[in-house]
Amino acid sequence: MSPSPSPLPLVAPVGAAKAEPDLFFPASDSEDEHDKEDGDEGEILAVVPSSTVRDVPSSSTVRREMGSSSAVQAQPQLQTSFDSTLVAPSDEPIPFFASQDSDILPVSPVSSKPKPRPRPRPSPSHSSRSSPAPSALEVPSAGPSRKRSSPAPPARSPSVSIPEGFTGGYLGEFVCEGWSLSKGKGYCSPGSKIVFERPKPPKTVEDEARSLARSKEKVGPARLVNGKVVHAKGKPVAGKQMTLGAMGMSKKAPPPPVKKGPVKAQVDQIIRFRNERGFEVGRLSVTEAGFLVHLLDTGIISLQGHVIDCPQVLSTGSTILLNVKVYLARAAFEKVEKDGRGEQRSFWQEQKETGEEEAMRKRKDALGLLFGRIGVKPLRSNALLLAQKKNGRAVINETSLKHFDSNGGKLPSSALARRSASPSKSSSSGKGKEKGSARNSDDEEEDSGDEAEKLNDEQMNELDQIYRKAQQGDTRLDEMDPPDTFLYMLRPYQKQALTWMNAREAGDETVRDQGLHPLWEEYAFKKEHKEGEPIEVEDDDDWIDPSRKFYWNPYSGELSLTFPTSNTKAKGGILADAMGMGKTCMMASLMHLNREGDAPPEMPAAADAEAEDEQLAKRPKFKQVTLSNQWRAIPTAVKTVNKPPSSTLVVCPVSLASQWHEELQKMSDKGSMTSFMWYGNDRTDIEKLLAQEGRKKVDVIITSYGTLASEFQKWRKTKDKPSYEGGSIYDHEFLRIVLDEAHNIKNRTALVSKACYELKGQRRWALTGTPIVNRLDDLYSLLHFLRLEPWGHYSFFRSFVTVPFLNQDSKALNVVQYILESCLLRREKSMRDKDGRLIVDLPPKTVDLQVLDFSRPERQIYKHLEDRAKRRFIQLDAEGRAMSNYTSILAMLMKLRQCVDHPLLVLSKAAEEDEQGDRLLDPDTGDAQGSLKEMIALYAGGLQADSEGHVPHDSSYALQVLKEIGEAEGTSECPICTSEIFDEDCIVDYIGNCEDQNKPANCPMCDKGPYKMSDLRSVQRRRKRINPITGAFTDDDGHPVLASQGETAVTIGKVDLVSSTKLRALVRKLDQMRIEEPEVKALVFSQFTSFLDLIETTLTKEGYRWLRFDGSMSQAQRAATIEQFGKKTREPLILLISLKAGGVGLNLTMANHVFMMDTWWNEAIEQQAIDRVHRLGQNKPVFVTRYIIKGTVEKRIMKIQRSKTALVNASLAGGASKDKAASLADIKKIFGLDEDDSEDEVY
Amino acid sequence: MSLPKRILKETERLMADSPPGISAAPKDDNLRHFDVTVAGPESSPYEGGVFKLELFLPEEYPMNPPKVRFLTKIYHPNIDKLGRICLDILKDKWSPALQIRTVLLSIQALLGAPNPDDPLANDVAQNWKEDEKGAIAQAKEWTRVYAH
Repeated sequence: MSPSPSPLPLVAPVGAAKAEPDLFFPASDSEDEHDKEDGDEGEILAVVPSSTVRDVPSSSTVRREMGSSSAVQAQPQLQTSFDSTLVAPSDEPIPFFASQDSDILPVSPVSSKPKPRPRPRPSPSHSSRSSPAPSALEVPSAGPSRKRSSPAPPARSPSVSIPEGFTGGYLGEFVCEGWSLSKGKGYCSPGSKIVFERPKPPKTVEDEARSLARSKEKVGPARLVNGKVVHAKGKPVAGKQMTLGAMGMSKKAPPPPVKKGPVKAQVDQIIRFRNERGFEVGRLSVTEAGFLVHLLDTGIISLQGHVIDCPQVLSTGSTILLNVKVYLARAAFEKVEKDGRGEQRSFWQEQKETGEEEAMRKRKDALGLLFGRIGVKPLRSNALLLAQKKNGRAVINETSLKHFDSNGGKLPSSALARRSASPSKSSSSGKGKEKGSARNSDDEEEDSGDEAEKLNDEQMNELDQIYRKAQQGDTRLDEMDPPDTFLYMLRPYQKQALTWMNAREAGDETVRDQGLHPLWEEYAFKKEHKEGEPIEVEDDDDWIDPSRKFYWNPYSGELSLTFPTSNTKAKGGILADAMGMGKTCMMASLMHLNREGDAPPEMPAAADAEAEDEQLAKRPKFKQVTLSNQWRAIPTAVKTVNKPPSSTLVVCPVSLASQWHEELQKMSDKGSMTSFMWYGNDRTDIEKLLAQEGRKKVDVIITSYGTLASEFQKWRKTKDKPSYEGGSIYDHEFLRIVLDEAHNIKNRTALVSKACYELKGQRRWALTGTPIVNRLDDLYSLLHFLRLEPWGHYSFFRSFVTVPFLNQDSKALNVVQYILESCLLRREKSMRDKDGRLIVDLPPKTVDLQVLDFSRPERQIYKHLEDRAKRRFIQLDAEGRAMSNYTSILAMLMKLRQCVDHPLLVLSKAAEEDEQGDRLLDPDTGDAQGSLKEMIALYAGGLQADSEGHVPHDSSYALQVLKEIGEAEGTSECPICTSEIFDEDCIVDYIGNCEDQNKPANCPMCDKGPYKMSDLRSVQRRRKRINPITGAFTDDDGHPVLASQGETAVTIGKVDLVSSTKLRALVRKLDQMRIEEPEVKALVFSQFTSFLDLIETTLTKEGYRWLRFDGSMSQAQRAATIEQFGKKTREPLILLISLKAGGVGLNLTMANHVFMMDTWWNEAIEQQAIDRVHRLGQNKPVFVTRYIIKGTVEKRIMKIQRSKTALVNASLAGGASKDKAASLADIKKIFGLDEDDSEDEVY
Repeated sequence: MSLPKRILKETERLMADSPPGISAAPKDDNLRHFDVTVAGPESSPYEGGVFKLELFLPEEYPMNPPKVRFLTKIYHPNIDKLGRICLDILKDKWSPALQIRTVLLSIQALLGAPNPDDPLANDVAQNWKEDEKGAIAQAKEWTRVYAH
């Protein structure tokens, strides 16, 4: 720290000061009383912060002209021990502190009473400053030391542990002003020592706050006081300045501490000073002293002072110029205890400032002011802070950074004056927005701004950048091989992750750079100027004592003597690789690598057996009370403590539990790692499970978020009861806790999040592809879980990240970036390694968008539905009732989307509503084309007729027909679409088309006819299908077969009209795949399980094997399904998956074809679904086929998807009602009601 | 939008194996739009002529017929001044089982068998009925002049 070159100017232009004279003389009545007091020698005793007056032996005071001397403690850093009384002045020369022009008063080394800024000084020209440096400046550690642990004043407690021998350090000095409360001569004279004093009863926090706030507002101006300055003189008269203040001038000794507090509030923050004989001389200017109050009361600083200048004869209100030396007391460095995490704090409690937090904030503010006042500059601070300072805006928290600008030194005095007028608010830019005391309350109000916290698109982009920056250098991480028990081959980037994770667990910080903690700054104590030594004006730096450093955190207000590294105790981190990069795999390798936790060293191997016994003993405890009673005597707790935790707890969504289990088995050498799925109602006793040893030992417990939450609730209810016997999962300390899909706890107030916070584990990991989903607070929850200091504290995170962010300060993102760099590893598939290769080399993915056209009946049905929905929507919208009928509008949309898949999906409900709806809307409609019911009935007619269809024709007839047509037509090709067989769709379309045009549907081949749909017959013989018209048919391989070869059972039935366009397309594609790749495995996604039902039927009919995976299945069923799907087969196998149930987390790389049967609102969800297949482990090219029907809602949904994925999500997808208005706009688009729609009917 | 498989196949086959006297190739910028040439059938007034046509496959093809017209001036009772063709399979007799190839063959056949009883170009038809020789001579003359 270099002392700032420019001490604060003492004198401010008068004009700048606002006058509120009243304030200055709050205690006017009392002043009278002082009249009689005589000044004594003019010495003033320094007040010990804690209201204890202590004698400060004055060592010789050195004064020098111009410069205030800041004395730095000569003694080496910590070791000097000073008595509380005084330390003998060290011999070292007292460096000169910055001295300035006459305007500037030297900062005097007296203990920190920073007097606030000089008020306008009547006589600007006091050039003389005496800086009596009591050589023994070491702060009297004794008295005042309060525990600084919690800055809260009430929390003060006798000084606790700090490096031994350390009593305090000299920080610097400054000049401030006080007013006489006494009248007469002899109280003090320039150079005389003074003692500062606080009223005994420490004020309550609230009072202080109030008074602080008040002082900020009012203080500034008022200066009646003229040039009269009372000098308090230290005994040592040496300085030249002495001449100015007559040493002997002191008047009568002031009466004992003046108790008369005029107004309470003011009393609360008055700092009085006496001369060395104990007479009260005066008080510090409220303006200047305001911020000292808190520090004094909490024992963080102690002050010593002497008078620089004062009138010979004091009168009430006379100005006394003081030099104040500030010492950081031992108490200042005592650890601030963070409040225990164990406490349950309710949600709103977390959001509010606790008393402790408030005290901390005040302390922080006050220290900031003090540092600024003294002109202490950091030797070192983090780049982040520097950047912020440079920026001129205190990103993080204005108040906390206010000291920076004062460091700058020579600000225009007007600016100074202004600042002094409102010291508490300080804007670092000096522009000072006048928020005044309202500020604090602002902070709290902001808590509610939920929506505002959401990141907009732009910010999300920025986030990407941040990720990217935080990723820089990650490519250079070393690679590390997993132990042999881990069977999989890791890719290079996974090995890097292992290195990183291992380092995080070991607490090894060298892997990534680590420096000064981002929020801390490094300072050094100063050497104190000794009296009588030559005064040389030199570089301020000479005054600092580099060997005695201390550190300050301008954000939290904490002080420390030890180097705060960015190292945190948190072991673990966030592994945020993109989907499909193998997070599970990497984590598993880590589990293999680090299997033992930190054990207490004395844990003897011999104790194992014993431990085992004990474990056994513990086991029954939980369930069998009787037994447990017998065993209770054994202090199980002790045992547990000694046993190094070796088990890992994996918390994941239910659907992934079995996958974790299986993958762990697959990846691990046999017997090397045992995992157990612990969830569901029948879960076993966790204690028992964990107590197992040897071969049965469980290394990994896999549980679900839901299970954990319910365990947590149980535990929370019972843990404090005397009857509680432990045995909960919360009583066990894990080696490692892993949250998979950790964004599940993004809401910090959710039960499940709390349940995760409370788990005991030495190492904590969060795995998620999206650490920040859509607001910065999402990240907080993870950090809190990780116990990453300091970010894991809500108030902290909030004031450094969330609030600045809300204030539109993009710098908040800088902080986020910093955080991420330290604890998060994220790679994406598209990243390249140091050699420029893609880190993940996935097989290519081909997306084929198939735009299909409805068959005629389908379109009729669809049109009918759509028209109705549109009419209804338009009407509702016109009446302004769209909002209130939101749900039913969504229902209509849903129906349309179902209809696109398959008309039968809407049959039941739609038919009923049809009448109702039509009636509701307008009675006229409806029957131009027949009611929906009829249409669908017609449509379904094919199906119903199907059974009869077989009857009239026996197979010999069929064979004959086949034979005839087979012989007649050599072609095997559908004449309409030219595919291998005559396509049912084609002929159906053709007939429909003819009907549309009102012309007879004659046979396209022979022109006979006309035919109707119901005349069509299809011939089926096993899988060989034949068309009645062309007679072409095929065998299993799709090759044409001569009719004569087909001896087996042949049936002729009505053409199946019940299929839908998409369904037919799917089957067609599957048929083709079957030919090309007989063992193909494919996923078919739909969001409608009812559609999946229909697909099932069709697949069965077509002879495909299929499996089903949807939300209605139990976990066991799901697991069985996935396992089944993974087996080798010799024929095509199709997995039908509901988009919602199977879109996330599953690993289905055994398939390489994906069919998306319909369109979901949010493209990302579809992407997720595709990524089930296109992920690590996939070694075949992936083919994705999406089916869209042209001219339907689907197209428009896709359009919306593309334009703004984000907006659509919540309300449409989830039915949440928040963004209705926005959604309505989307709905209009979907109905094609917005302007730009019509032209681009691309499909 | 991608071409239906059928169109691709037809195109392929037309290019690989075109009927005698007929050629058809899609334009580069629109694969549904074909440049066609048809040679006048032997022993018809159009013999020796090479007639240019254009053929367009509408979106609905093959459910709807292709659109075809002559670009070369031709004197024919079923083809008007604008090159439009009166042919039943291009209208109500269209069947999706028909193809470009069959359409073009039909047109070629039409050249060999004008049908003045179902005229499109009335003056030509009139002339054809009243003075067949004169009409044929006229057709030959036009062929000589225009169809090369």
